[in-house]
Amino acid sequence: MPIQLTSQAYCKMLLHAAKYPHCAVNGLLVAEKTKDKKKDSHSEPVLCVDCVPLFHGTLALAPMLEVALTLIDTWCKENNYVIAGYYQANERTKDSRLNQVAEKVAARISENFSESAIVMVDSSRLTMSCFEPIVLIYDHHENKWKSREVTVDSFEDWSEAQKITSALLENRCYENLIDFDNHLDDLRNDWTNPVINKSVLDLC
Amino acid sequence: MASVSEMYDVGWEEMRDKLRKWREDNFRNSEQIVDVGEELISEHGSKLGDDIWIIYEQVMIAALDCSRDDLALTCLQELRKQFPDSHRVKRLSASAFKSSTARKRKISILKAQGKSTEAIRELNEYLEQFVGDQEAWHELSELYINEHDYGKAAFCLEELMMTNPHNHLYCEQYAEVKYTQGGLENLELSRKYFAQALRLNNRNMRALFGLYMSASHIAASPKVSAKVKKDNMKYASWAASQINRAYKLAGRGTKENKCSVKAVEEMLESMQITMS
Repeated sequence: MPIQLTSQAYCKMLLHAAKYPHCAVNGLLVAEKTKDKKKDSHSEPVLCVDCVPLFHGTLALAPMLEVALTLIDTWCKENNYVIAGYYQANERTKDSRLNQVAEKVAARISENFSESAIVMVDSSRLTMSCFEPIVLIYDHHENKWKSREVTVDSFEDWSEAQKITSALLENRCYENLIDFDNHLDDLRNDWTNPVINKSVLDLC
Repeated sequence: MASVSEMYDVGWEEMRDKLRKWREDNFRNSEQIVDVGEELISEHGSKLGDDIWIIYEQVMIAALDCSRDDLALTCLQELRKQFPDSHRVKRLSASAFKSSTARKRKISILKAQGKSTEAIRELNEYLEQFVGDQEAWHELSELYINEHDYGKAAFCLEELMMTNPHNHLYCEQYAEVKYTQGGLENLELSRKYFAQALRLNNRNMRALFGLYMSASHIAASPKVSAKVKKDNMKYASWAASQINRAYKLAGRGTKENKCSVKAVEEMLESMQITMS
């Protein structure tokens, strides 16, 4: 039921927020598709292996979001992934509340993935050192989104995630992060971010 | 830079008459008024007689609109010299001192504090006076979008499209707002404006995708006639082929983009199936 974040997923979310410090940003979290659905699988955490940064600025418009969801869904099927969650960092850095946009997108995701989660990034606490996790994780319980305490267990390997994210922030790798908006501006921009993925792998 | 009289081959009388027409018809073309009025006053001021005072007033208001505080102040000074006790001039100077920069700063602060409703109210008041400030109209449209007040956002974008008919971005954003509002009528409007944005810039990918999505949804709606369905399937089909072409062009030479191209093809195929 609860989600877990890999270093790659965590650092790309933060790089996205760091690239656009004065905008709201959002994106999707993807997990590997598991073949069997065991009855007790709800106790196994869902590992979000990657994220796809979507938009920055105005998040509340429908058409491009629909395009992104459909396109990324197709890409997921090719790579045996499934869209498992949604992340968002709000414009005003002191405000990390869940809003209508987040709920709407998460509802869409829940149609295909019942255990989807919302991750809110608290960009007011974004620092180079990343000494503490700056995310809030929300699960869907009884028709409401409830926040869960974020611990080291929310990460596949917190110390690795911290080390990698900090290194990439210091090297200003966020300048090369591509989101779906960048892709729409120039189709050659690759929203799977292979360059950053490679940097993450090199640092592991 | 060429003067207005050189560019349009007009004499000072025509410029004066143009300004009068704009006054009488209450036109809000502030930038034009500033261009014509500034030149008229500086080059032909002595020929204008008593008309010059009303022209100073007209130019001053337009100058404030375009953030030409220097010009506004010059006009105001001339008016004060000529009409030292006039209430009308006093009211004009009050509006000049509520300078645009101070107002804008206040609005930024409200936004940073998250006070969207107050920021919206202030921005609306600001725009009543500085009706030509495009940046402000755009900012207001974004504030409305974030508050999910799509109707008012559309109104702001309509203002922007009116004064900037060749700007493909405003067209495309207006189309996105209409699409988000939903309903068949809004979808058809959005399709039209996505198409218009494409006419203005055939490389606008958002407009292309938007055209595809809106036409597809209209074609799939049970409420439309067979002809409308057929027309929209044609539009969607055309848009799909253009999208494919754009991806193929972009993907040439890079193997990473192959998956993008494939993903787009599959997405378009799957949507065609749900449409038919």
